Formats: sequence, structure tokens, C-alpha cells
Amino acid sequence: MEHQTIQSLSELKQLQTAFYEAIFDPKDENIIQASTYIIGTAEINETKRLSIYRDSILGGITTALTHIYPVCVRLIGEKYFTHMVAGYLKKVPSTSPDIGNYGEHLPTYIADFKPARELIYLADVAQLEWLWHKAFNAADDDLFHQGIQPLSALQNIAEQDLPAIKFCAVNSANLIQSPYPIQRIWQVNQNDYQEANSVHLDEGGISLVIWRSADFGMRIDELNEDEIRFISAVLNGASFGDIAELEFTQALDDIVQRCIQTGLIIGFSDRALK
Amino acid sequence: MSTNKFHLNSIQGAGLGLRSSHYQEVFNTKPDIPWFELLSDNYMAEGGLPILRAEKIREDYPITLHGVGMSLGSADPLNMDYLARLKLLTQRLEPIYVSDHLAWVSINGNQTHDLLPFPYTEFTLNHIAERILQVQDFLGREILVENPSSYLGFHATHMSEWEFVSGITKLTDCNLLIDINNIYVSAFNHGFDPYEYLLAIPKDRVKEIHLAGYEKMDNYLFDTHGYQVHPPVWELYQAALERFGATPTLIEWDTDIPDFSTLRNEALKAEKLIKEVT
Repeated sequence: MEHQTIQSLSELKQLQTAFYEAIFDPKDENIIQASTYIIGTAEINETKRLSIYRDSILGGITTALTHIYPVCVRLIGEKYFTHMVAGYLKKVPSTSPDIGNYGEHLPTYIADFKPARELIYLADVAQLEWLWHKAFNAADDDLFHQGIQPLSALQNIAEQDLPAIKFCAVNSANLIQSPYPIQRIWQVNQNDYQEANSVHLDEGGISLVIWRSADFGMRIDELNEDEIRFISAVLNGASFGDIAELEFTQALDDIVQRCIQTGLIIGFSDRALK
Repeated sequence: MSTNKFHLNSIQGAGLGLRSSHYQEVFNTKPDIPWFELLSDNYMAEGGLPILRAEKIREDYPITLHGVGMSLGSADPLNMDYLARLKLLTQRLEPIYVSDHLAWVSINGNQTHDLLPFPYTEFTLNHIAERILQVQDFLGREILVENPSSYLGFHATHMSEWEFVSGITKLTDCNLLIDINNIYVSAFNHGFDPYEYLLAIPKDRVKEIHLAGYEKMDNYLFDTHGYQVHPPVWELYQAALERFGATPTLIEWDTDIPDFSTLRNEALKAEKLIKEVT
């Protein structure tokens, strides 16, 4: 039956819901339902007209994900990536108007994606790329508005008060740990990479912090066990006193100094002292 | 580029849609382009380099913001989070115009990230006019709405697109961004006369024009923004300028983006035609 009128919000909603379902879940019944609204012609019937929109929508979203996950595209090829994204689109709707927010769950989808099982490192590489994208777009650090004290104010804190402070990392910092050499895989798949491009999985796992420095430079830094324990605690909001209780193989002060020097730690909170 | 500071508060002539691949060239050479249009949706992130670059552009050029995320034609409530981000962006960049489309993008909270058509009826006319007024109230400024290109029509449509667009201007105080390429593409795809469309548009409400290139498919035209402006679109543009007068015009190019000089040549062609009606 053709729909001859749209005279209410609920009728408009029905039409748009039918259209959406015919795009993202194009089974026969959904196509037939959406087609009842559409004028077809001898040259281009209703189904073909819907497919123009389907191709445009899926193509646009796939292109956006290709820009977020260029290394994954390189590792599995554009065709295969497009196929994988088609499944992801069906399973995970995009709920933010900012297309840059879509793709957060692609690493998890890849981990469960049977055809990609042989590429055991792919989900972790995808997670690295997502965190890179997230860091690139993260909020700028603003010590004043975030209520963070600059590191220069550390000298005003009495020794006995130090356990109560909380060190603060840049907003963009995120950690990733993988049993695979994902940083090397990422490196050798960059366009400007010149050296030998073979990576052996037995090179072993890695812990990384992915972040953006104050001058907008993107950083992927390898962390040793002490550093990851420290940064992880900082990102979880642990006080310096709680961190001092953790086990480290090096002096904690040295670890803190190193993280301050790189710019990863930008200040501290003294709220507990007030 | 003019050195008069007042040139930053209005737009005229033929501007360019600025894409990230051309930022460096613009920073380095400060080309003599009268204004740039930025895609607001590309600057919605909380921070980082893109917004900083946009602010740097704004120091030297007037800009307009053009978006795809308002989803004016949707049955969903307006996305206030999106509008709040857009408002922040307008406060940071002080664009001359803020525009979006007569289209829907999301339904039931799910995004398609594309501009989709809806039937032109009395109900949708009132529904969208009301939403435009809400958006303008929230942003604290008038917006421009753009005519879309489309590949299908609806049984429920009871008025032409130009009647719909005119109707919007009667029910709201918003202005129009008329995309000449979109009119041409839709006219071909739906079999109407693009000149009749132009004649029906209230000319005092047209504040900006868009030009772009389409792709010829087997039996329809597809609006890819991936080519130079085609000759029949230039012809239609000339007719538009004769009717609307010298209107700020933008060259859009979004896929297979060429080097900056190719874009600039397109803008120069438009500039020449604008001067003929000035």
C-alpha cells in the first residue's frame, strides 16, 4: 500500500524509521516497507533509489572509519575492511552527530569477528588507532579551569602533605597493553616508513601511552612496568600516598621526574588539603 | 587580501570551502580569497589542532560555518548537545553565516551522517519551520537553510520543493543558501525545470550560493562534490545571479580534492560572473 500522506509526527517517524532500516538492515521486508513511500520510475525503481542512498551513507561512514583506522585498512585491505565495516554498521548504530565519535567499538567488534581471527593482533592495533584518534581530538589542557595546580607550585607543598596530592596527566593520555608488538606494526605501516617492514610477533608485547603534547605533537611512548603502574594509578585518580604504596623496581621520584620531563604529567590537585 | 579590518565582518565575492589538505598552503601563502567556509561538523571535537587552525584562519579571513548535523527534517527532537557545541563554535569563530540543510540525518537517535529527503507536506513545512525557529532562538542568531539534492520523491509530497523553500521563508525569518548544483541535480533526477525553481525563490532572502560538481551516473546525476562545476550549472548560476544580484558564492569540493590552484580557478570563474551583475 502506498503512503499518500504525512500529516503527523508519528507518520514522519514511521517513514524515517522504515528508511533507516532499509539502509542499515536491507532485508526484503524492510526494503518493501520503505518502498511503499517512494515514487519509482521505469528507469529507476524504488529499490534502486534506496540503494543510491545506501551506497552514499555506507560509503561516507566507511570513508570516515578508513581515516580513523588507516593501519587496519592497510593490514587487511580496503575491500575486506569495507566488508567488516558493513557488519559493524549493522550491529553498532552511530549515535553521535559527530562522525568522529563513531568507531569506538570497532576494536571490540574486530576481536569477535571470526574471519579476522588469524590476525590475532588486529584488534589491539585497532585499539591503538582509536586511542590515537581520541588523543588527537581530546580537550586541550587548561590547568586553571580544571582546577589543577602547576608543577611549579609543588615547592609550596609541605613534605608531610605530599601523600595527599594527586598528580594529573594530560587530558589526552590513554594506556594500552598488548601481548603483540603493536607499536612496531603501527610504525611499519605508516606511509613515510622507509626501513625493512617485517615484524615478528615473537618480538613480544608492549605497554604504551598514547597522548598529545602541549605543542599538539602526537606521541606513542613505550612504558616500562614501573611507568605503566605509575601512569595507570594517576589516570585512575590515585593519591601520591597510595601510589607510594605500590611496588616499583626503580625509585618512584625518578619515575615521576621522567613523566614530568616528557610533559605527560602537567600538574597536581591539592583539593584533599583544602 | 584586503587589509581593512572591516572586511572580516562581511562576505562578498567567491569564497572557497576550506578542507584540511589546504590549510598549510593558506597559512603559508595567505591567498587573496575573499572568505572561507568551514564544515562545522569537523570542528566539534573538544580540542586539538583543527579548532586552533580554524581560529588562525579567522584572524585573516571572514568565515561561514556550514553543517550537516542539525537534522532539521527529522521526527526526533533537536539534538541540544549538538546545538550547544555549535553555539560554542560560533562564539569562538564568529562566522558571518551559520547554515545547514533542509534534510534529515538521524532517527530514533541513530545517525546516518547523510542528508536524506522527506515529503514536502503542510505538516513537514510547519514542523521544520518550528525547528528552525527553535535553533535560531538557541543559537541567538539567524541561520541559512540550504536546498538539498535528492534521488527520490515521495507519494506523500504535495508541493514542489520551491514551494516548500518559499513556505519556510514565510513562516520563519531564516535566510537561504541556494545550491545551484543541487537544483540542477534534483531537476534532472525528478524531471522539473530548474529555471522555474529559481524564479519561485524569494530573492531578498538568498544570502549565499553554493556551486559544486556532480557525477553523471547511468540514468541519474549524483552530487559528489568531486568535480569542476559543469557547464549547465554555470549557466543556471548566471541566471541565479541575474535574479538574486551579486550574491556571495562558494565553491565546494569534498571528494578527490584537487590542488588549491584548481579550486581557486573555479572561484575566479564565479567571481567574474558576479562582477558582471554588480
